[in-house]
Amino acid sequence: MSSRRSRVSEEEINELISKLQSLLPEARRRGGGRASAAKLLKETCNYIRSLNREVDDLSGRLSALMATMDNNSAEAEIIRSLLRS
Amino acid sequence: MQATKSFEQAFLKQMLLGIQLSAVSHGSGSLQERKSAIKLSADVAMAVARGSKKWTRGLIASLSKEEQNRSFLQFVLGKEFERPAKICHSSWKIPRSKNIVRRSLRFLSKRKSNIRAPNSSVLAGTLVEKRTQVLKRLVPGGQSMDAFSLLDETLDYAACLRAQVDVMQKLMTTLEASKHRADSDAQRPKEKFHLLPMVGSWYSTRKGLRKRLSKRPKLTL
Repeated sequence: MSSRRSRVSEEEINELISKLQSLLPEARRRGGGRASAAKLLKETCNYIRSLNREVDDLSGRLSALMATMDNNSAEAEIIRSLLRS
Repeated sequence: MQATKSFEQAFLKQMLLGIQLSAVSHGSGSLQERKSAIKLSADVAMAVARGSKKWTRGLIASLSKEEQNRSFLQFVLGKEFERPAKICHSSWKIPRSKNIVRRSLRFLSKRKSNIRAPNSSVLAGTLVEKRTQVLKRLVPGGQSMDAFSLLDETLDYAACLRAQVDVMQKLMTTLEASKHRADSDAQRPKEKFHLLPMVGSWYSTRKGLRKRLSKRPKLTL
């Protein structure tokens, strides 16, 4: 590690950890005091996995939807206007 | 990174451009192909909209490992993508420089002795180590990150993922709503064309798309 990294303090780590904790959706957080690092890591991993699944699912639905759009549809117009902006 | 409006806008635009682009080549493909194309557009758009971070570079690198993604990546990223040593080489993960080897060895030896690690008391313990390994696999480019970078990049990556989901969801909702309105209004029979002709009417040639994408996004790799 570079010399800058080796001076990373306990405090900086704690700060990142509490930021991570506040990033997780409400339901996943443990109320009150600081969660253990292990629990937090687990929740973070689960959160990332579920977000990836959502993207996957949305990709499928979007591709199905787009396949049925025609040139004159309002949806096509929406996309065109989004690209113009 | 705070998931800002400008990130979401940049992401949306980049994704829609990418979808158009892939419609040219995959427009008449299978459902699975089209789904993968959209996911690829979404991921590349996310990386491009975010700019240069460890995870964005890691994401592009892992996407480029798959043959079917390469032409898309090449088109969108242009010259940046062509730097072979960093991305395309299948063994790019293997440390080549002395510094990287030194850093890796130091990090590995620190894992063994919890007491010596700078991030000791907070991140010590085998359960934490195990889960850190899992996180490293989930965050693109995570394998080569030290613990601090990993946490930092994770924060950034998760925020961007969240924004990616939100934007795609909003797009979905908007399109579905308009389709629903159109379907319930429609008295006349409607012909459903494929995405390909729709793209074709906006940009009649690949050249048109190239012009559109001529402002290459700057993703330093």
